[in-house]
Amino acid sequence: MIRIDHVSKSYDGGATLSVRDLSLEIRSGEIFGLLGPNGAGKSTLLNMLAGVLAPTSGTIELGGVNVVENPLAAKRNLCYVGDSPDHLLRLKGHEFLRFIADVYEVPQDVRSARIAELAHEYGMEGELDNQIQSYSHGMRQKMMIMGALLPDPETWILDEPMTGLDPKASWLLKQSMRRHADAGKTVLFSTHVLDVAEKVVDRVGVIAHGELLFVGTVNQMREHFKSNGSLEEMFLELTSENSPFASEPERGAAGEKNDAPAARPAGAPEPPEVR
Amino acid sequence: MARAAAQDFSWKQFRVMLRVIRKGEQHLDNTGMGLGGDAEATGKGVATKVGLGLRRVAMAVLYLILAGAFFALGIGLGAAGVTPYSAFSLSVVSLVTLTVLTGVYQAVNILYFVRDLSYYLTLPISATTIMWAKLTHFLALSVLGDLILVPVPLGCLFAQSAPALTWPLTVVAFVLCAVAVNLALVIVCVPIMRFSRLAHDKDRFSRVFGGLIVVLALAIGVGSQFALRGDGLASLASGADELLSGGAPMVVMGVICPPSLFVRQALTGDALGVASGLALMVASVALYALVLSALARRWYFEGVQSLQGAGAKSGRRVEGAELARATRSRGQVSANLSRDWKTMVRVPVFFNQFVLSSLLMPLYFVVIMVASGVLAFSEMEQAGVSVPLLLELVRTATATFTPGSLELAWCAVGVLGFSILLGFSSYTFTMGVSRDGDDFFFLRALPMDWRSYLVAKFVSPFALSTVPMLVLMLVALVVLGVPVVSGAYLVLVYLGATATLGLLSLGLGARFPRLTWDNEAQLVKGGGATLMVFAGLVVGVVVMALPALALLAGCLWLVIEPWLCLVLALVAFVAEGAALAWWVLGPCARHLSRLER
Repeated sequence: MIRIDHVSKSYDGGATLSVRDLSLEIRSGEIFGLLGPNGAGKSTLLNMLAGVLAPTSGTIELGGVNVVENPLAAKRNLCYVGDSPDHLLRLKGHEFLRFIADVYEVPQDVRSARIAELAHEYGMEGELDNQIQSYSHGMRQKMMIMGALLPDPETWILDEPMTGLDPKASWLLKQSMRRHADAGKTVLFSTHVLDVAEKVVDRVGVIAHGELLFVGTVNQMREHFKSNGSLEEMFLELTSENSPFASEPERGAAGEKNDAPAARPAGAPEPPEVR
Repeated sequence: MARAAAQDFSWKQFRVMLRVIRKGEQHLDNTGMGLGGDAEATGKGVATKVGLGLRRVAMAVLYLILAGAFFALGIGLGAAGVTPYSAFSLSVVSLVTLTVLTGVYQAVNILYFVRDLSYYLTLPISATTIMWAKLTHFLALSVLGDLILVPVPLGCLFAQSAPALTWPLTVVAFVLCAVAVNLALVIVCVPIMRFSRLAHDKDRFSRVFGGLIVVLALAIGVGSQFALRGDGLASLASGADELLSGGAPMVVMGVICPPSLFVRQALTGDALGVASGLALMVASVALYALVLSALARRWYFEGVQSLQGAGAKSGRRVEGAELARATRSRGQVSANLSRDWKTMVRVPVFFNQFVLSSLLMPLYFVVIMVASGVLAFSEMEQAGVSVPLLLELVRTATATFTPGSLELAWCAVGVLGFSILLGFSSYTFTMGVSRDGDDFFFLRALPMDWRSYLVAKFVSPFALSTVPMLVLMLVALVVLGVPVVSGAYLVLVYLGATATLGLLSLGLGARFPRLTWDNEAQLVKGGGATLMVFAGLVVGVVVMALPALALLAGCLWLVIEPWLCLVLALVAFVAEGAALAWWVLGPCARHLSRLER
């Protein structure tokens, strides 16, 4: 379970607010999709969950462990795939996976079987002896995903995980996510591909200008908009500068300065769960 | 015909390309020893701008110091009766030697190992235009660097009060030579990059040339031992003069640097001779430019295309028992050590700068010591002192280095002095964390034990910098017959000095890491890296200060017994080492665990 409580992240001494007073609870056993336009604050939020960034205020708990106070324990319960797969490029595939297994202390008796299984699933058996720098973008992404899935921790946090994956790998990852959630564990991922979100997630959160504008199921979203339109149309309406859910500053200059959010305009519909 | 027409030169596109290349191109300088590629910091803060300004000033000062040194060298040559033409020949021969050894890599780096080239491939711009824009950029950088040698003949002119007109004439002649050498270099590079398989494996290619550059540094160090004795420099200058005077060497020089064939005429002839000499020099440069243009039209872009996506793959499958062996369980220190070592060895920049240099450093000392020794012995033999007798005299002196003696204390001071010099190479430790660059933030998302991470960052450079030198030291102690206990003490002092130096440097690097770089070369070259190398000397002084004071209190100021000063020096190292280890594994590790972009 992931609990985010009134989390904000600011830079430049508070002049730039990347995430503002965001609260959210993601339950065990669900796949949660985080949607938002570029620069919405998705990666900042996921980086805070992964312990790469520290929140300016608020608390984050993973499985009841505070990420800031006890980062090592929290990180042992999560795996994170960032938005770039270009890491540790000089290591060979098997060296990279061994390093990850060592850091996560994956037991000796399961690691090689698990690596072989993942390599087989993602079609990377013939690539394990090559340096990651010789891989294509998609293969690098597969390697990052294999590294994340190898320790199989309680919580998966994936930032745009489908980017660059071929259809088979993308399908495999979605299956893995489903299996993981069905086993009572948690998956949180961000995506730009609304079609993926629509088909895979149990719940979706829409973030723009650092604020969570909507949280609910896709059906709730559809019901709320009283629309038979695609998720894409709803998303565009929700994240537009004139969105009824956006606070005053966003509808104005769409700036990211630290102003107090204005009251929601009269007559604007109440979202099912607005954070 | 259509193909050739498509590759026609366009002046308008040339200017656009040159502007783009000059302002925004990123090079993949894999050795870290090439030109350019030292992108400036991208931050906008005042501190960044001030830092950048300071670096520029420091680099300018460094350049001026070097130019001043060469000018002084030229004055020395002039005072020794060397003619300005011979001094000019020496600088041209040096230019050709340096360019042949290092220039191929620099040319390839700037003309081929550029990320943006794959984008240029998609643009409707002719290969000849792109090649000339890149070549102009390369020539500008190269000639600017080569100009550092001009002060040698200028100094000679100054010493001999030559007419004012000969000064600009010398500079123009040198620039023409520099341009011609670089053109010749690219003429060789174009077919190499089109057809050579080695050149297409960037890592191997970079390692080979990195090795060559390090060997060159060794050769210069050794050569200087001979050149700086007696009339060595004057002999070198007359040798260079002879190289350009006739026979096979002149032909070779004429092929590599055609203007050198007409230098004598341009510098020493009458007015008509000077004019015709200069005209011939310009014509030879123009001829090479035409040859290069023809070659580039045919092969430059084909070479660029063949480079895209090049890279070796083993094609071997690791599975079953082999996979199980390859992925055996390890602790975090071992895991980090293995990762760090593999990265350091496999990234050519890091290999050349941190591994090869560290390993060759003792060799450098050995060769220089042997060279100096041979010269000294030959001089002594001429004075009637035989080598065995000399060794006997030295052994008699070292036999007095008994435990607790004043002589041993002085010897320990010498070890400390030597260790301060090692501060120049302590940036291997300082760069430990910075080497990870953007990977650091990938590691931040893992359940990383940052103390293990830092221990691993200490072990590799410590082993690299200490073990070869330690072996050398042990050999010297045995050969010189230093008493065992005293020898062990000196070894302990050396280990204490290198360990504390490494710990402080590593800690400073962890507190102020430079993690935002685009390619590895940015980290190890340019003003920032140069300043860091010199800052290492200050770090060395800081850690040696306390033990040195303890030793000097016993052997110089004589306020404590020699044996006590020896003990206190060791105690100081132990205390410093413990404090620094606590600082590195405590506050520095915590700092890394919280470090954000």
